[in-house]
Amino acid sequence: MLRVDLHPTHVSKCGRYKLRPGKPLPFGATIVPGGVNFSIYSHAATSCELVLFEKHAPEPCANISFPEEFRIGNVFSMVVFDLDYENIEYGFRMDGPWNPQEGHRFDKSKILMDPYAKVISGRDVWGAQPDWKDIFQHRSRICFDDFDWEDDHPLEVPVEDLIIYEMHVRGFSRHASSGVKHPGTFAGIMEKLPYLKKLGVSCVELMPIHEFDEFENSRVSPVTGKLLMNYWGYSNVGFFAPRAGFAATGKFGMQVDEVKNLVKQLHKNGIEVILDVVFNHTAEGNERGPYISYRGIDNKTYYILTPDGYYFNFSGCGNTLNCNNPIVRNMILDCLRYWAADYHVDGFRFDLASILGRDQNGAPMSSPPLLESLAFDPVLGKCKLIAEAWDAGGLYQVGSFPAWGRWAEWNGKYRDDLRKFLKGEAGMAGAMAQRLQGSPDLYGWERRGSTASVNFITCHDGFTLMDMVSYNGKHNEANGENNSDGSNDNYSWNCGWEGDSTDPNVNKLRRKQMKNAVAMLLVSQGTPMILAGDEFGNTQFGNNNAYCQDNEISWVDWSLLNSNKEIFEFFRKMIAFRRAHPVLRSSGHFQNRDYMGSGFADITWHGTKAWNADWSGEAQTLAFMLCGKHAKGGKAQDNNIYVAMNMHWEMRGFELPKLPKSQAWYVFANTDARAPQDIWEVGEEKKLENQSEFLVGSRSVVVLIGK
Amino acid sequence: MEIKNTAGEGHIVIEIVGSLDSTNVSQAEEKIIPFITDKACMVLDMGKCNYVSSAGLRLLLMIAKQLAAKGGWLSLVGVCDDVKDVMEMTGFSCFFKTYNTLPEAFEALKKGGMAKC
Repeated sequence: MLRVDLHPTHVSKCGRYKLRPGKPLPFGATIVPGGVNFSIYSHAATSCELVLFEKHAPEPCANISFPEEFRIGNVFSMVVFDLDYENIEYGFRMDGPWNPQEGHRFDKSKILMDPYAKVISGRDVWGAQPDWKDIFQHRSRICFDDFDWEDDHPLEVPVEDLIIYEMHVRGFSRHASSGVKHPGTFAGIMEKLPYLKKLGVSCVELMPIHEFDEFENSRVSPVTGKLLMNYWGYSNVGFFAPRAGFAATGKFGMQVDEVKNLVKQLHKNGIEVILDVVFNHTAEGNERGPYISYRGIDNKTYYILTPDGYYFNFSGCGNTLNCNNPIVRNMILDCLRYWAADYHVDGFRFDLASILGRDQNGAPMSSPPLLESLAFDPVLGKCKLIAEAWDAGGLYQVGSFPAWGRWAEWNGKYRDDLRKFLKGEAGMAGAMAQRLQGSPDLYGWERRGSTASVNFITCHDGFTLMDMVSYNGKHNEANGENNSDGSNDNYSWNCGWEGDSTDPNVNKLRRKQMKNAVAMLLVSQGTPMILAGDEFGNTQFGNNNAYCQDNEISWVDWSLLNSNKEIFEFFRKMIAFRRAHPVLRSSGHFQNRDYMGSGFADITWHGTKAWNADWSGEAQTLAFMLCGKHAKGGKAQDNNIYVAMNMHWEMRGFELPKLPKSQAWYVFANTDARAPQDIWEVGEEKKLENQSEFLVGSRSVVVLIGK
Repeated sequence: MEIKNTAGEGHIVIEIVGSLDSTNVSQAEEKIIPFITDKACMVLDMGKCNYVSSAGLRLLLMIAKQLAAKGGWLSLVGVCDDVKDVMEMTGFSCFFKTYNTLPEAFEALKKGGMAKC
């Protein structure tokens, strides 16, 4: 079709570039017939200039002012024809008031990255020293958005059926022991696909993969002499661009295709992808921080400012993104829609999500428009939305995060209660009963079922599982902050010796405690999440806040897979057990009654005496039975499952509830037994000789099935 | 970049010399498109092609799709390791059948071992 707008109407002042007025939407750079449409919003800018660079060039090759007639409302837009879109880097210069008290910090000398940049160069290879004299550190680039997905589609697995595996893209395969061709990259994860399939997890949750700067606040550790970096990456440079330094093809600018291919391959193998997204702040820091983009484009729009123009710091990272400003709200929505539609990701975990519910003055809102928009957005309609339901400004909303029946939460109470029970704290039976049922005490309201609870014992933040059973206290000296950083509330127990031990009894107990922990996690209602490497006892040597450690402290050590094969096998089989038994994966909460006429209530509680749980303040034991006829609210058929937990230091006899005559109890797992008799393959469970009582060892968990 | 058309056992053999990127894909496309005819079996000899950028890979995929739409086939020969690696990581590799040498490609074509496009 012939179109009039295929032809330029203007020529740039330098005479080199042909132009025409652009379309204000979509924002960012979009390839259009014959050229590229550039569009950017600023409320307070008085003029705007497009700055073009040839790839990696120190100086711009063109500065093209947006003619006044190219501005519609508060949007500058322009089509530039005949650009070599593969080799162009672009930014903007904005002119406007400098009045920090009023919130304006325009500086025409700065070249600013496009907030909607879909590819960002400048940190293309992880750890390569940047040229600090470069006048444009983080450069927007033009993106090919024509990836061939064939028949791929987000998997839409019900959230209660997921088993989430949290990983750091670099840390997962960077260690020399990983054996992959491209260590520390998206491609490295792809090479580990057969491993992930074997383990049986059904979803990977990637720690931040938006473009960030690993050199932000980099410094040398006074303790180890090693370079400390922004390794975790909870500090966005851009929200739309994947982290180039995580891509083996980042040096060719092909990170977009590499990430999309990873998602496609994971989907082919039945594994979903959740992204950890950080909308609470940006890498620009406070008033002393650099100009990357937002500050120079429209400071007052993008950040929550104090009445005298300073940055509120609810994130603990210098600034706070103004999430409930209508412009920023739309940017976040555009961003999530983009990742859902263009990258086929299956869901998002929102870092410090409570900030997303603060108003433009920083006060918490009861019905935050942003959270509501996300809950009801048509494009995000099938995406998992998971909140880290607290922030660094003291807002703690576990159980009360505004949800509209859509939002799930990282259940911090699950982690804490399970850890306390595991280490033998008395009087935890009542709390454990709630956690095992998907925390109805927290989520039994407003249509929130056990699907609201993401259960975890460990995550990137805090001890690894091995460290949780090896250290009483954190050991963060290598972070260079006198061990004052990181949480002090670890509820960990070292099993009798602080740190690495050669004592076989200590090590045996540690192995058993790890098995206890994962057994309890995988028989709990809700969505379980495992930290990558925990399945073979990966250690961070007691560091519970390894955000800055790009070295062996953080990297998953795959050689442990051989030395801790027993732990891996236990994880693998427990995961298979959960996947095989729908009775462990209800979406709603239990009703504590027999609505299927099976003779048993959906869940029943037991103790050393059947039908008599010990809820006293001294209790260190608990047992429960799930009725298979009530699986998935009665919609699925399953076996009865009985779980006995004895966290006392002495063994205890547990009287077993009597099954119908046609059935008998079989043991699936007994953490007190020596491997490989500690756990069986699904379907190969061993029939119990004594059907009326089970002697549960000290600090042990037993899982039985009735069939 | 240079495009050469050489004959080979009844197939269309096109040799790409130099690097294939956004500065020359349109030119390459213009030269190659006339050979995309009904049931054409095209072999791209890339033994002397040292670099294929993102835009270059897209041209190859576009050729493969257009050939497939006309009942034809595309095979790549002599793709260097670096390019092969990038194709692998970015998912382009699953759209092409690649061979080390021309005779290998001809042999495979004879046997009907084609790639899905």
